[in-house]
Amino acid sequence: MIKQIQKILIANRGEIAVRIARACRELGIRSVAVYSDADKTAYHVRMCDEAYHIGESPSAKSYLVQDNIIRAAKASKAEAVHPGYGFLSENAIFAKRCTDEGLIFIGPRPETITVLGDKIEARAMAVAARLPVVPGTTIDEKDISKAKEFAVKIGFPVLIKAAAGGGGKGMRVVDALDQFDESLKSASSEAKSAFGDGRVFIEKYLLQPRHIEIQILCDTHGNYLHLNERECSIQRRHQKVIEESPSPVMTEELRHKMGQAAVDIAKRAKYVGAGTVEFLVDKDGSFYFLEVNTRLQVEHPVTEMITGLDLVKEQIAIAEGKKLGFAQNDVTINGHAIELRIYAEDPDEGFAPSTGVLKNYRPPAGPGVRVDAGVVIFSEIPIFYDPMIAKLVVWGKNRLEAIARAQRALDEYRISGVKTTIGFHKTVLAHPRFLAGDFSTRFLSEEYPDNRYSPYDADLAEKAAIASSLDKFLSDRRISVGAGNGHSKEQSLSPWTAVHRKNSLKQFRGSR
Amino acid sequence: MPRYTVTIDEHEFDIHLDFATGNSGKLQATVNGRNCLVESYPLGTRQSGESRMLMLVDNHTAEVDVRNSETYGEKSVLISGIEIPVTIEDYSLAQMRKTAGTTLGHAVETTLKAPMPGMVLHIKVSPGDKIKKGETLVVIEAMKMENSIKAKADGTVKSIHIETGRSVEKGDRLVEFI
Repeated sequence: MIKQIQKILIANRGEIAVRIARACRELGIRSVAVYSDADKTAYHVRMCDEAYHIGESPSAKSYLVQDNIIRAAKASKAEAVHPGYGFLSENAIFAKRCTDEGLIFIGPRPETITVLGDKIEARAMAVAARLPVVPGTTIDEKDISKAKEFAVKIGFPVLIKAAAGGGGKGMRVVDALDQFDESLKSASSEAKSAFGDGRVFIEKYLLQPRHIEIQILCDTHGNYLHLNERECSIQRRHQKVIEESPSPVMTEELRHKMGQAAVDIAKRAKYVGAGTVEFLVDKDGSFYFLEVNTRLQVEHPVTEMITGLDLVKEQIAIAEGKKLGFAQNDVTINGHAIELRIYAEDPDEGFAPSTGVLKNYRPPAGPGVRVDAGVVIFSEIPIFYDPMIAKLVVWGKNRLEAIARAQRALDEYRISGVKTTIGFHKTVLAHPRFLAGDFSTRFLSEEYPDNRYSPYDADLAEKAAIASSLDKFLSDRRISVGAGNGHSKEQSLSPWTAVHRKNSLKQFRGSR
Repeated sequence: MPRYTVTIDEHEFDIHLDFATGNSGKLQATVNGRNCLVESYPLGTRQSGESRMLMLVDNHTAEVDVRNSETYGEKSVLISGIEIPVTIEDYSLAQMRKTAGTTLGHAVETTLKAPMPGMVLHIKVSPGDKIKKGETLVVIEAMKMENSIKAKADGTVKSIHIETGRSVEKGDRLVEFI
């Protein structure tokens, strides 16, 4: 049964809410934004057709409050809810609630989210679908001695992960037995505060793995497709910062095997919608199932750039009950795409969040450049949410062109008011190992152990020195050039001409 | 005409500004003994504490935002997508400072300030503790992440100015060292 959706409530904020609103507008679907106190004038609100206030600034009092979101959906007469990523996107109770209230939840069925969202159950399902998994075990909190024994048996380092985890939260690498208790405690407490579920498990920590994931797309008619891989090995604190597709190490054979594995677990889970099957790939090309993300990923644009598909539109079509309009053989790879996550963080201070108002914001443009942002100039990066400013996505006919284009776009980007990761990206993209595609998830910690991402650039430093001298000279003399007075002829003059004239005038009058 | 000492990442620039000959509106800059012609055009309205300009150094273009920090003489310059912290002093004052043997920057830093707003989760040190560079001093939860604030240098803790469970603003004093 096909139901044409007329109006979608977007239960999210920031760039992903803007991204979804754009797809809606292109499809002629009306979009409904929800917003917290901090987001009253946020860009996603401006980009939607309607907007409903859903509570106070902390997400636990707004974007995570199911009642308020359902109420907004009812009030706006939306027929469907798109959860984006994060917040309620992988919350099975919310998905079921939507369905029970007669709303279409744009995502997999609640049962699928429950099973795959629990990393312990997902592992079991992967094993049942004959996918290779990393050695691991669950941890009984009342008797952690067994888990310790297991850790000793498989050998350190081991990884402690939250069953309900995601985004690196509730995850700890344990290098030796004596750190086990403390790591377990902090992983569990972080998981409890972030997800309300402190259950954790341990896995063998592969030393040099790559993180490669497969995008899947499944309709309600039994069609299960994969849309190739995304290479996401450049991570800090287990959070992806640079993603690309295709992976520089992928072979046609491995892609086929991993794609098939992803489709196998999707079939087993009777998956519906867009999803991502994450794998770790070892140096020898063997791969291990990691988890399934039952939502749209942050990094979905790199897949869109190389396949020419619009994943949000595909999600909506699937939710409407339509059949996928293409087959596995139709999915191609055109060129190379790279995504750089631009965060309001200070890389030289251990990526500490940097909140504030964007005093200047001008994104790059031009051939092969796409910027998905939830901000514009004078937007505020609030303390309450993820500090991502934008995703800079570039396309090139091959990897080298994409990298050169990314560097060019980073040069063009102008953001002031908060610290950003732009300089970090420029440094990493220029690293010989990145250029060679020779890296693992350990790349950043191996190559930048001191978190020093700002190498000294003599040419830029000299220009900065001159610029600061000019600025000091001008401000010390209190010469305002073009400030406020739109009628002043001096506005269009070089400040030097202005200074010169004022100086001459002073001399002429004989005063100091 | 002004002469400045600019320090960037321990590199020093001796910059002398003067008007260029003729009424060209350009400026003559001498940077570590090298002469160049400089032009600058403001971009948009000047905001408090920040100016934007198109700068030409011997006809080489650079779009720059110069922002003043709260500390006098410290600015940050946004250029080619990256932000460069700069310390600028009058040349004569810098000479006096050097004669007095005072160095710039972090060597005399005795206060640990909150690098971000958030909530104090753990305080790992007490007054009197000897600390090593890289040691975790305080853990602050911000944006749902636990951020370990580490010691930038070896030292001894003098006093603690925060409590577990309390929220801090960016720049708040956390720990004082001797």
